[in-house]
Amino acid sequence: MTKKVFEGLKVVEFAWVAVGPQTSKYLADHGATVVRLESHTHFDLFRGTSPFPQNIPGVNRSMFYGKYNSNKYHATCNLNLPQGRELAWKFIEWADVITESFRPGTMKRWGLDYDSVIKVRPDIIYVSTSMQGQTGPFSQYAGVGSMISAVAGFGEISGYPDQMPAPPYGAYSDYFCQRFLSTTLMAAMDHKQLTGKGQWIEQSQLETSVYFNAPLSIDYEVNGHIAGRDGNRLPYAAPHGIYPCEGSDCWIAIAVFNDDQWQAFCSVLGNPDWTRQEKFSSLLQRKNNEDELDSLIGQWTNTKRSKDIEVLLQDQGVPASVVEKSSDLYQDPQLAHRKFYVKMNHAEMGTPNYPQQADFILSKTPRETIMPSPCLGEHNEYVYKELLKLSDDEISDRMADESITTELPAGFKLTTNM
Amino acid sequence: MNNVKTNNSLLRPYRILDLTEGGYMIGGRMLADLGADVIKIEPPGGSQSRIAPFYKDIPDAEKSLFWYAYNLNKRGITLDINTADGQDMFRKLAKKADAIIESFDVGYMSSVGLGYDDLIKTKADIVFTSISPFGQSGPKAHYKGCDLTGWASGGYFYICGNPDRPPVWISFPQAKLHAGAEAASGTMMALWHRLKTGEGQSVDVSMQECVTTNSFNAPEMWDLNKVEFKRLAKGINIGTQGLRVSVVWQCKDGYIIFVAQGGVQPFVNSMKSLVEWMAGDGMADEWLKQMDWAKDYNASKLTKTVVDRVEEAFAKFFMTKTKNDLYEEGALNRRILIGPLSTTQDLSHDRQLQSRNFWEKVEHPELNDTVTYPGPFLKLNNNPMQYRRRAPLIGEHNVEIYETELGLSRTELSKLKEARII
Repeated sequence: MTKKVFEGLKVVEFAWVAVGPQTSKYLADHGATVVRLESHTHFDLFRGTSPFPQNIPGVNRSMFYGKYNSNKYHATCNLNLPQGRELAWKFIEWADVITESFRPGTMKRWGLDYDSVIKVRPDIIYVSTSMQGQTGPFSQYAGVGSMISAVAGFGEISGYPDQMPAPPYGAYSDYFCQRFLSTTLMAAMDHKQLTGKGQWIEQSQLETSVYFNAPLSIDYEVNGHIAGRDGNRLPYAAPHGIYPCEGSDCWIAIAVFNDDQWQAFCSVLGNPDWTRQEKFSSLLQRKNNEDELDSLIGQWTNTKRSKDIEVLLQDQGVPASVVEKSSDLYQDPQLAHRKFYVKMNHAEMGTPNYPQQADFILSKTPRETIMPSPCLGEHNEYVYKELLKLSDDEISDRMADESITTELPAGFKLTTNM
Repeated sequence: MNNVKTNNSLLRPYRILDLTEGGYMIGGRMLADLGADVIKIEPPGGSQSRIAPFYKDIPDAEKSLFWYAYNLNKRGITLDINTADGQDMFRKLAKKADAIIESFDVGYMSSVGLGYDDLIKTKADIVFTSISPFGQSGPKAHYKGCDLTGWASGGYFYICGNPDRPPVWISFPQAKLHAGAEAASGTMMALWHRLKTGEGQSVDVSMQECVTTNSFNAPEMWDLNKVEFKRLAKGINIGTQGLRVSVVWQCKDGYIIFVAQGGVQPFVNSMKSLVEWMAGDGMADEWLKQMDWAKDYNASKLTKTVVDRVEEAFAKFFMTKTKNDLYEEGALNRRILIGPLSTTQDLSHDRQLQSRNFWEKVEHPELNDTVTYPGPFLKLNNNPMQYRRRAPLIGEHNVEIYETELGLSRTELSKLKEARII
C-alpha cells in the first residue's frame, strides 16, 4: 500500500480563519499530523460564523470553521498564560512546521516569533500569513475579511461600468493565497530535505494579490492605463457573458472566441435570420453591436432551462456553463464523480458535507477525508499524552491552572459575527 | 538583471516542461520563481497567450504584458507536438525532466502518444500535471471551458454582484489563474512524494473545484439549512430580518469599503472612532453622537429607518475625503475598519508596498527598456526569490536547449525549423 504523502510530518497550527488553516489542510488531507491550538477563551473567529445547523450558533457548530479543519487534531492551550506559552514551546519542539496568522507582533509578544523559535529549533519551517506583511507602516492595519481584497484592487475592477463597483463576495484573496502558501511550504520542505535548513515563509496577502493580477499593474507602469470594470465582457470574445434562463434567477454563461464556435452557436439556435446579419458576422462586428447581440441571445435563452442550454452548446463544442447556485453544487455529477464532497458524522453538526481542500487528485496518493472537524479540546488527551508525551500529573496541573482549557467560561454567550 | 544568476533558490532546479496556456501559465511561473528550471513550450510562431495588454499598446507577440507577467523566470522553446518528429523531441525532453504541466483538451496528450501512460515508458518517475475545466474524467470532462464558464461552474459567479443586476465577475479573468496556482501546489506535492519514495504520478487539477473553493460560506448555507445565498456586493445582510447595511461607499475621488456594522467588536470601536472624526469636522449631529453602537446598532434591534439615517450621514462625510485620507487618517491613525477600493494607480503609489521594496525592475534589452513588475508573491528569509530573467522570446532558448543540452546538430535544428516542427 502506498504511503501517504506526508506521513510522519508534524504541523502545529497557531493560525486562524482561512489562509493558514487551508494551507495546513493540504497536508492534513494527505497524511500529515496537524494539531490546531485554540482555547475556550480565545478561539477562531470562524467558530462564530454561519452557517450553524438550524441556525443555532455554537462554538462547535460552524461549518465554515468545519470545512477548513477536517483531518486535524485539536488541543487547547491558553497562550495568554505563561504556563500556556510553556506548553506552546513543547509543541514547537515537537513540530516540523509552524503556522500562524495573528496580527504582526502578537507572536513576538508571546515570545513565540521566528527569531525566538530558531534559537531552539534552527531548522524550523515557520509560516506567517497576514494582510499586509510583518513589516511596514500598514503591518498593523486593522482589517476584516473582504477588506484586503478591496485594498488589493479586486473591488474596483468588478461590476458594471455605469455603476458603483460590486466587489467579489467574501474575503476573496483568502482563496488564492493558500495556493501560493502551500506550494512554498512544500518547496521549503524540499529545501530542508536537501540542506537541513529551515525557512521563515512570510506572506503579505496584499503582495500575493498584486502578483496574481500582475498584467494590470505592469500595464499601469508601462502604459499609464488604469484597469476598469466592464461587466462580464471580454475585449476578445463575443458573445461573452451570462444570459437569463427559465426559472427564478437562473443564468447560463456563454463564451464564443472564434468563428468556428460562432457557427456552432448559431446552428444550435437553428440559424435564425438575425444571426446572418452583417453586424454579427465577425468578432469586431459583434463587439460593435454587443448590446443588441446580448439582447437577442437573451430572448432565446429565456425560453429554456440553463441545464438544457449547457448540454446543447457543449455538444457542439461551444463553451457554456450553468451559473451554478450553491444548491447546484451538491447535485453536480462532475463534483460527485471526483468525490469533492465527503459526508462525515460530527458530534454537533449531524452529517455535513466536507468539501476537499486540494482541488487536484494525485493518482497514487489521492486526497482523503478521515476525520471531521474537531470540537474545542477534542483531542487534548491524545495530543498531550501520546504526541507530546506529557505525564498525567503535568496534564492535570495544566488543566487546574487553565492553561489547558476544558470548558467555556461560565455564562458564556457566543457572539456571532455573520 | 537579465543575465542568469547562480541562484540561492529555495527549490532545487527541478526541470519542468510547461505546456500551459492563458491564466494557467501562472503555475509554471510560481515554480520558476521558487527556483525550478521551467521550460515554456510554445507552438512554432508563438503561443496564443501573447495577448493584451501590450507594451506601449503595440500589438506584437513579443510585447505582450500578459505573457511577460506569467512567464518571467522561464526559458522558452518552440515545438509542434502534432508531428512525429515533435513527439520524438518531446520524449527526449521528458527523459531529462522532473515534471510536466499541461492544459490541453482532455485526451489530447494521449492522442499524440505523450500522455502520462506513454511517458512513464520514457521516464518512470515523471510527475504529470494536467489542468482542465472539470478534470480528466467524469461526465463533464469533455466540456469546453474558459475563465467565464469556469467561474460559473464553481458556484462563485452566482453569489457576486448586486440584486438589481445579473451576477457579475471580476473583469480581469481569474478562474484559470486559480487553477494554475493550484497546479503548482499539486505538482510540488507530487515532487515531494517522489522525493520520499521514488514514485512519480499524475496530478489532475479541476478549474471547477478551484472556483468552488472561492465560495466562502455560501455552499455550506445550503448544505446545512437549505438557504440559497444570493448576491449583495455593496451591502451585507445582518440578523435574520433581511436588514442590509452598506459596505461600498463613494468618496471624493473613488470608492471605499467600510462595513457599517455594530453590535460586536471590532465594529463597535470602529463606528465610535468614525463618529469622533466626523464630530471633529462638525459633521456629526447630536443624535449620531448619542448612538450606542453595541446596544442600539446590533442586528436584533436595528431598523431600516435608523440604518438609512445613519448611512446618509456617513455618505455625506465620506464625500468630503479622499481614499488616501480615509486610509491613512481613518484606518491607520483612527483604527476605523476602512479601506480604499484601490486602482492600479493607487497600488503603484501604495506606501506599504514601497516600504517592503515590493516592486522589481527587470531589464528588457530587446525593448531597450526596464519594466517594473510586482515583486515575489511572498518573502523568504534565507532564500529570497529572485527575478533571474524576463519572459522568453519565441524560441529564445531553442539553441541552448536543443543543441547544447540535447545534442542536436545545427543542421538538424535548421531542418526542424524549416519543417516548422520547431
